[in-house]
Amino acid sequence: MKPSSFRGKVFDAFVAALLGAGYVALLLATVKNLGYARDEGFYFRAAGEYKKWFDILFTDPARALDQSSVDAYWRENHEHPAFVKSLFALSFKFLNVQWHVFKEAGTAFRFPGMVLSSLGVSVTYLWGRREIGRLAGFVAALFLAMQPAMFYHSHLACFDVAVMSMWLVTTYAYSRSLEGGIGWAVVTGILYGLELDTKHNAWLLPPALILHFLATRGLRLLRRDLRSGRTRIPLALLTMATIGPVVFYLCWPWIWFDTGHRLSAYVAFHTNHEYYNIEFLGTTYFRPPMPHLYAWVMTAATVPTITLSCFLLGLVKSGIDFPYWRAKRALPVADHDVLEASWSTRTLWLLCLLTSYAPWLSSDTPIFGGTKHWITAYPFMCLFAGIGFQWTRERLTTLVPTVLRRANVPDAALAASVLAGPVFMTLHAHPWGLAAYVPLVGGETGGASLGLNRSFWGYTTGAVQDFLNAHAPPHAEVYIHDTAYDSWIRMVRDGRIRSDLSGTLTLSASNVSLFHDEQHMVRVEYQIWVDYGTVRPATVGVYDGVPIVWVYMRPPVPAPIH
Amino acid sequence: MAPKTLAWLLVPALGLGELFSALYLSSRPPKLEDWSRAAPVLAAMRTHHELVVIAPDWADPNARYAFGDALMPLADVARPDESRYARAIEVSILGADAPELRGWRVVDERHSGKFRFRLVENPAPAKVLYDFVDHIADADVFDVQGGHQGHCSWNKAARREAGGLHGDPAYPSERWECGGGAWHFVGATVVEDEKWKGRRCLWSEPGAGYVGIRYHDVLLGKVVRGYATLPWWIERELKGAPVDMKVLIGGDVALHYVHRDGDGWKAFSAPTGARAGTRADVEFQVSSVRPREREFCFQADTR
Repeated sequence: MKPSSFRGKVFDAFVAALLGAGYVALLLATVKNLGYARDEGFYFRAAGEYKKWFDILFTDPARALDQSSVDAYWRENHEHPAFVKSLFALSFKFLNVQWHVFKEAGTAFRFPGMVLSSLGVSVTYLWGRREIGRLAGFVAALFLAMQPAMFYHSHLACFDVAVMSMWLVTTYAYSRSLEGGIGWAVVTGILYGLELDTKHNAWLLPPALILHFLATRGLRLLRRDLRSGRTRIPLALLTMATIGPVVFYLCWPWIWFDTGHRLSAYVAFHTNHEYYNIEFLGTTYFRPPMPHLYAWVMTAATVPTITLSCFLLGLVKSGIDFPYWRAKRALPVADHDVLEASWSTRTLWLLCLLTSYAPWLSSDTPIFGGTKHWITAYPFMCLFAGIGFQWTRERLTTLVPTVLRRANVPDAALAASVLAGPVFMTLHAHPWGLAAYVPLVGGETGGASLGLNRSFWGYTTGAVQDFLNAHAPPHAEVYIHDTAYDSWIRMVRDGRIRSDLSGTLTLSASNVSLFHDEQHMVRVEYQIWVDYGTVRPATVGVYDGVPIVWVYMRPPVPAPIH
Repeated sequence: MAPKTLAWLLVPALGLGELFSALYLSSRPPKLEDWSRAAPVLAAMRTHHELVVIAPDWADPNARYAFGDALMPLADVARPDESRYARAIEVSILGADAPELRGWRVVDERHSGKFRFRLVENPAPAKVLYDFVDHIADADVFDVQGGHQGHCSWNKAARREAGGLHGDPAYPSERWECGGGAWHFVGATVVEDEKWKGRRCLWSEPGAGYVGIRYHDVLLGKVVRGYATLPWWIERELKGAPVDMKVLIGGDVALHYVHRDGDGWKAFSAPTGARAGTRADVEFQVSSVRPREREFCFQADTR
């Protein structure tokens, strides 16, 4: 399936670029009413500090590299590494402050996240194109892009989709490096360093790659390697172990000084992460044991069923194509080699997928992040879905008259039939991405009836910003509930919220109050009832009839401001 | 054509099926404007202060937005249970039923747009003679510590406070203030139970001794009945000491109730015996051997 001609390669690069650019454009077009999520507020603040450091770096590098400068500016949010936040900072510096490409600083902060998510979509296409075929790669890429939760997270100045893309591109480079040569191996080492510097999910990649090496080398060859004392460890594994840490170190100024202590604090933060509340099937979990079914049920409930079905078909097909079945062993050598190469890639995909889900086999792993914590699995899931699509395509083509086949009608119809649902669900879910559930569980109302979480991070303030601007009394104090103060401030500074409105976390001092739906948060709503003397929200932000965020106003309610 | 080949058509069929299912499911529930349009229908049906119950319960905020405090007052929304209501109106969407009204007799049923209104009758309604939460302003409240009885004072305009997610439930502006900190009061608030439902109850967090709440000349029925809880946020930690509550009728201990973390919204009942139908003083004494974070809250009535 590899594009052999130069023309083919250029075309595929063009399609990949088009997919990426199209996705960025779609994300930018839909960013305005997506409120700033809780964690984004923290990263905005951090990136603002890092920008100050970059300002010094560009004018007085010696001073910037001094420990006092590094400590002063990189202390902020040092529990997460710096690569993506540095991109947020640089985007803010150049695309908002200096060049005014983006009017909103928030969009400038978000832009690198959008680009990285689009990179994931593009690379899914390229890898799918190489391994399965052009149309299947295209469908796999759109399967990835068109998932409500993925679409939501792709907008954000956060790390989840960024680490998903970094995992994918690192693995892609690793896979290419197995074909020989040193170039891709070096690229793999550099990319892995950047992935390490994106989010700690990166720690899980080496086990997947080592397992892949063991599985594809085979027992016989491994035994021979051990006997001879000469192993053929992939070069990229060595570059990941050498170049990777160097890149990680260089790109995170915070660990330039007091390195051991700061690194161990970073590791300790994530290995001892606190538990937050999250609702699952009507129960709020706040400490272990966490439900074992969480990751699987949430995947089934949020990823379009057609995507999952094609994924399962792809797994079956990959099993059938296992090169060591008796029938396959009888194939001509050339055909068998093709099968072996393809099996190696599919094994890599499967191991990356399983490794991404592996932490949730333990009931001690926190579940508060919903689906975003195993989102690194999704590109691989979609690549398998591409195989499932291709298998279906091959079988169905025989049903169609040649004249239609020549015009690619069956291909277009099949692609449209499997993509229409995901596209509709994804676009329709905006800006309520975290509340989106697939028809398999009854859609949004089904999710609500099942007791599945409808939102977290307080991002839905963006969905009621117009109401606040129109109805909040002049100079009102707004209780911002789950929206982080930094996120609220950014909404005000970006002109999304009236500048005379003040955010507060003191309910009793407020005249207007937001309430972001989460099961355990209802205790805040009960406080509003007593404090405001009313149970009537002034407005409700609903998604397909399901309330997600609502606003209370302290009686007497004033007339709207026009 | 081989059936095995035709079976592959299930893939595009599934894709299109999911699309049309998503379209259908998103068009099914009423919009917020539809809820507002349903308000006059409900208002016309609610002639005797019937309880309004929404099914499914997640639609409650939409209903409260559209129907307002008049049709869904706080005392109803954060009710102790349904036993005191003779009739209720179930407002249902998507064909849902309210589990709390199961077994109630349907008297009237109407449909309007995407809503179903059912007027239902309680097969065995309780007649509440006296609600201790509603009459908190009429009580005497005192705080006994080390044998010394300190009087709490009624404040109709106390400083409101609300602790947010990690803090205390809201302190109402009307409350008995017992000194020693804003938390030390008796007054009506709303706390969450073990199912995260709101329950209107009397906050009566004890200090080192006990908090006493004495109601005078209360019309008694067969029982003094109620529920008690701590905010589930605290109870679920299972770390606190038990809370004791004595119920005294006419000076005699009629009930010694013990509330342990994890009990949730737990019922209690004290028979009045021969005093049924008479009037007597009723007193609640709340204490704990380790009163830290014992945000005890109870509801009670005579019936």
